[in-house]
Amino acid sequence: MQSYQLPHLPPHLSSVHAALFKDVSDAAQLRQRLITASTAEGPDGTRARDALNFAFIEARLITSLQHLRTAIHQAVMADALGSLRTRTVHSEIIWSLNPTNNISEAMRRYGVSDTSTSLVVVRIDSPELSVTDIERDMDAAVNGTKVPFADLRDITDWTAVKKYHKLGNEVAIQQTKGDVDRERGVVDEIATSSVAMKMVMG
Amino acid sequence: MASPSLALISASTLISQGAEAHRFRKGYRHPTLDASLTRSRVAGEARALLRCLRSGVNVPGVRMVDASEGILGIEQVESDALEEYEIPVDVLMQLIGQEIAKMHLADVIHGDLTTSNMMLRHPSSFKSHHPTLRTELVLIDFGLSFYSSLIEDKAVDLYVLERAFSSTHPDSEPLFASILKAYGQGMGKDWAAIERRLDDVRLRGRKRSMVG
Ligand SMILES: Nc1ncnc2c1ncn2[C@@H]1O[C@H](COP(=O)(O)OP(=O)(O)O)[C@@H](O)[C@H]1O
Ligand SMILES: [Mg+2]
Repeated sequence: MQSYQLPHLPPHLSSVHAALFKDVSDAAQLRQRLITASTAEGPDGTRARDALNFAFIEARLITSLQHLRTAIHQAVMADALGSLRTRTVHSEIIWSLNPTNNISEAMRRYGVSDTSTSLVVVRIDSPELSVTDIERDMDAAVNGTKVPFADLRDITDWTAVKKYHKLGNEVAIQQTKGDVDRERGVVDEIATSSVAMKMVMG
Repeated sequence: MASPSLALISASTLISQGAEAHRFRKGYRHPTLDASLTRSRVAGEARALLRCLRSGVNVPGVRMVDASEGILGIEQVESDALEEYEIPVDVLMQLIGQEIAKMHLADVIHGDLTTSNMMLRHPSSFKSHHPTLRTELVLIDFGLSFYSSLIEDKAVDLYVLERAFSSTHPDSEPLFASILKAYGQGMGKDWAAIERRLDDVRLRGRKRSMVG
């Protein structure tokens, strides 16, 4: 898990914790737990929600650490400015990643789905929370292997990213003439820039 | 509540120190925080940059937009003075012409084409895909840009650059001619009409300066 601070944001949004999990074996159950927790009442409900108080992101649609961090920054900014388009800063990260304004489409594509096998898990919170506790909760929530973000290299599904960003016929892609590294660089830059300007995409 | 974007800017000495320290660290780029612009200008500039990126025009990536504060954060392009790159002048002119052509093919009009709105990427922080060139020309400052497919707008865009060239370079004619040659190749069948229109625009410009 990597943690970093955003000192220019209000304290409750200034601590970021993120980890990449591969070989996730229980995505369907995780999704079910999220659905159940979201409507559960009483202290049990609160406990269930606390245990799953993360953004669970489809890792194969993340093109780089910069892409992820841009989406995180976008979401905390929206929260700080009182302009969240979704319920929480965590769901806002997922919404930020999707090129359209459709919330349910964003959750379906960029959130955890029954078929997810790799997940990026993110927690935004105040620096007062213990990093050890957060990592323990994260490990308890996901059944998978935590790997360094460099492993995104083998996880990103470039075909899916290109499809969602409608890049198939774009000049920038054609220009790379089948040079895979170069094409990935271009796709990553477009995906990152799209996330960064989500607020003015309209 | 204090604006997070303004807080980020007021802490920007720290950021630029950081940028200095990480200058040549690959894949690690700090956002540059541009001067405060109006909301619509910021939105327009960001959209023009994304359109350029999708169309294969070399421009800085977008890193953050705070429209309510009128703040645009863009990728910091590491660069040096032109002389540092030892690129033959005609190659440089060719790069300029090619980049403007790509931009105009995407129907983006820059609105303020001058050499101060162009940068050359530093070879140490950039992986060239060209067999011999170690840099690339990057167009910046899309604050006055707009979308148009009109020949007139493209011709005027070129004319602005021509005037800027003639006021800053003593022997600008052959330089500008080689820009236009590369531009024309890039524009293909669209070039003939733009070339004719550029002549009209020049004529209008000359008449205006005779009157004024
Ligand atoms: N992406 C960038 N990376 C590094 N330096 C930049 C970048 N964008 C602009 N600059 C520097 O800042 C100067 C002013 O930026 P510009 O966008 O042209 O704004 P304006 O001319 O409207 O003040 C440029 O001439 C360049 O030296
Ligand atoms: Mg400028």
